[in-house]
Amino acid sequence: MTLTDTEISSTGMRLNLGPQHPSTHGVLRLLVELDGEVIHSCRPMIGYLHRGLEKMFEARPYRQTIPFTDRLDYLASLNCNLAISQAIERLGGVEVPERAQYIRVLLCELNRIASHLVFLGTFASDLGATTVFLYSFREREKVIDLLEAMTGARLTYNYIRPGGVPEDLPEGFAEGVRAFLDEFPRALDENDRLLTGNGIFRARLEGVGVISPEMAIAHGASGPVIRGSGVPYDIRRIAPYEVYDRMEFHVPAFAEGDCLARYRVRIEEMRQSARIITQCLREMPEGEIMTKMPKIFKPPVGEAYSRTESPRGELSVMMVSDGTPNPARVHVRAPSFVHLSLLPALLPGTKIADVVAILGSFDTVLGEVDR
Amino acid sequence: MTTLERESPLRAFFTVFGSFLQGMKVTVTNLVGRRKITVQYPYERLTVSPRYRGLFYLPYDEEAKRLKCTGCTLCVQACPTNVISLTKLGAGKHGGVSEFTMDLGRCMFCRLCIEACPFEAIYMGPSYTLASWDRNACVFPLEALAVGGKAAVEQNFETITAALAEEEAQKAAKAQAAGEKAEHAAKPAEPRPAAVNPEGNGAKAGPGVDGKNAEAPAVPRPATKEVSV
Amino acid sequence: MSVQTSQPARTAPGGQLVLGLILTLVLVGLVSALAYLPWYLLAPATKFIAAHPVLNAFLDALVVCAFIAAQCLFLIWLERKFAGWLQARLGPMHVGWKGTFQTVADAVKLLLKEDIIPTHADRPLFVIAPYLVFVPTVLAFMVLPFSLSWVGYDFGLSALFALSISTVAAMGILAAGWGSNNKYSLLGGVRAVAQLLSYEIPMVLVVLAVVMLADTLSLTQIVQRQAGLWNIAAQPLLMAPAFLIYFACSLAEVNRAPFDLPEAESELVGGFHTEYSGMRFAFFFLAEFANNFFSAGLAVVLFFGGWLGPGLPAPVWFTLKVLLLIGLMMWVRWTLPRLRIDQMMGFCWKLLVPLALALLCATALWLVKG
Repeated sequence: MTLTDTEISSTGMRLNLGPQHPSTHGVLRLLVELDGEVIHSCRPMIGYLHRGLEKMFEARPYRQTIPFTDRLDYLASLNCNLAISQAIERLGGVEVPERAQYIRVLLCELNRIASHLVFLGTFASDLGATTVFLYSFREREKVIDLLEAMTGARLTYNYIRPGGVPEDLPEGFAEGVRAFLDEFPRALDENDRLLTGNGIFRARLEGVGVISPEMAIAHGASGPVIRGSGVPYDIRRIAPYEVYDRMEFHVPAFAEGDCLARYRVRIEEMRQSARIITQCLREMPEGEIMTKMPKIFKPPVGEAYSRTESPRGELSVMMVSDGTPNPARVHVRAPSFVHLSLLPALLPGTKIADVVAILGSFDTVLGEVDR
Repeated sequence: MTTLERESPLRAFFTVFGSFLQGMKVTVTNLVGRRKITVQYPYERLTVSPRYRGLFYLPYDEEAKRLKCTGCTLCVQACPTNVISLTKLGAGKHGGVSEFTMDLGRCMFCRLCIEACPFEAIYMGPSYTLASWDRNACVFPLEALAVGGKAAVEQNFETITAALAEEEAQKAAKAQAAGEKAEHAAKPAEPRPAAVNPEGNGAKAGPGVDGKNAEAPAVPRPATKEVSV
Repeated sequence: MSVQTSQPARTAPGGQLVLGLILTLVLVGLVSALAYLPWYLLAPATKFIAAHPVLNAFLDALVVCAFIAAQCLFLIWLERKFAGWLQARLGPMHVGWKGTFQTVADAVKLLLKEDIIPTHADRPLFVIAPYLVFVPTVLAFMVLPFSLSWVGYDFGLSALFALSISTVAAMGILAAGWGSNNKYSLLGGVRAVAQLLSYEIPMVLVVLAVVMLADTLSLTQIVQRQAGLWNIAAQPLLMAPAFLIYFACSLAEVNRAPFDLPEAESELVGGFHTEYSGMRFAFFFLAEFANNFFSAGLAVVLFFGGWLGPGLPAPVWFTLKVLLLIGLMMWVRWTLPRLRIDQMMGFCWKLLVPLALALLCATALWLVKG
């Protein structure tokens, strides 16, 4: 007796990728239904890192919310500090001195380089090239040392406050940054030779996880995800904040929409960040670094929305004030959360090994997804 | 580098193989040409930057023979996670603390308390070896935080109580000079400890920032302390 | 105060490499001596052993096992140090001088671990899988010639035996994958079997080409025929591509990057050996490194003249060549990313098999003509 297709019935295999998994970049759980190696459906399940940050913000005065924002996107914590500080400043109508704005941009771009280096290392390591992880972290160590000299911390900086920054640049900081930027292009070129040109790397990433521009826009993608699909959408150009409107830099965008394009966007962004940092150091004026804020800060009733371009995409903070010293409501629009909504549309039809590549190319951080 | 489509298979093969050799050249360059960056902790240690956020310390004023801390509780109000609890020792010009406990198990090392303090009485030092086996060892009392340790704390207590007692005596003398009314207003000589519980933190307003540069003070920092239980 | 740097003083990297090479040579000598010492010490007893074949065979097997264990200990340490140096770091430094006893410490740790068998695991399969993987590799060592006399068991069909016995390990991997009652393990096991069986074909074809040139299936005789010039130098046009194909296949057979999908750490946690801990895992690990040595050893025998070389004793030459080849395998492993399973299959069936067939035809033509 021969068995035809209609007589063999088989169900797909349900597999849990995560929450404990080396490649999901945090505690993300992907419930996938597999047919052999091919994925039929995928359901991302989040909440494993939920700490109730938005509720905690409502119970504290405005200044005390800043350290918690470090823990949102912990790889780009200065950017989160900036987003919420900007919202507070807009609520209270506070002007930030020019030197402080330059310092903020400088710090955020350094943080962008550090975050993208983590992306580089973890992405390559997910694909099997573990050596690149060590090389990128070797470079990142220099950035972290610089940020430690400035802020005192190595990951959760808590250094951008409503009104400016708490302390000025330490002695030798500018020289240290310039020394780092002198060597940095060489490291990126070396990485290109090792990884970007590698045949296996390209075979793994070319044509994998293609997101069309329409799909990206429809799902609300931002940052390298949408720029990897050819849409040159960058908050620093569209709605410039701080002194980004005075900075000369190129917004990289590649039209293919696959994982390789998103990877190349981030590598190119690192080069552009180096350009911005050089300009900041050159053009930074002397002056105040912090506007005097009242001891008890009670902004008028109203709401404010602040948009920033974090290394992951558009990180925005919505803040509502009711006249009391504590905010009435704070909502953080996290780019990784929005990007995860792309997964159920993107993953069916791909293989398990591709899931790892796609997740890595999104560069999600579960801290900001779950808050 | 362009994509490999529309290349003849032979050319593609050589491109790919060449990319492998290029990658292997990079790794062998790192093998022979670059320093090994391992710092073998704990035998070798890196120095941390001057602004590093390690264990807190409360400076001690040698001339006045007391800790600089006046017990104003601004740091308690500034802390987002209720780390500090202190017991005031008197009030006013000669105020101080008899107890100052920091529960570093709750601490985020965010520096808001440092920025809130108007008397330069609390700083963060370079000590980062704070791991312990017991949660209770994360609670640092005043003796562990004050520069000078137990001796400084005791001297602080003596100085402050003496100053407060003298203040009381002067007040009593003034009151007596004013007449019988002073006796009704006489207060006991011992200082009243007013424990400040950090429970109602949310309702109090945070301190303002006045943009002063919190530079490290010119007092000796404590040596790196091994905290082991 | 200036921004502090974090680079303590260190020996120049070139000097480190030289020291490393010297250290490697010394260690090779030591380990070889340790493994081969019993023969010298037991000289009077060898006559007695030679007179009793069963005892002879048993002791041969024992020596082989001891040698495998010693070499694995060394290879694991070398892998970790080499990987460290490639990655601008030091590798194990703490246990023993420059970390040389690290593997011993790891082995002790594995011995002391709790023996966990998952619930609902297929017990017989789960238990037998490590041995199914380890024993064929040890058996294959029996025919690997370290010198003319230092072979476990020399017979006329040793090349065929070596190739066929190492395929049995695939069964063990499948048993591990199925018996673990774990979807990740199953995926890893299934991928591994597909990979191992596919890459056997180009490997066999290439070995066949070498066998045709040497006109014998016996590994010792293949080496002896290379007495004038190593195979890879004698017929570079045929042997160089043959060696490259063989090298790629051996990487796939040993589950090394870029073909390490069955145990891809970042995708399948541990692949087929996810659920194994303690000594059972140690067997998989030992088997992998033994297989590494064996594949490299076979390459040395087929292409690089086996034990032939001036000056040093034959086994030392053999071990040295094998270690150089293993160094190359490690270098490739720590440079290249991983291939996806369908790409790996495509690479084998669409590239390697046609190339190997073409090579075989070319060898046959060359033999007919010349």
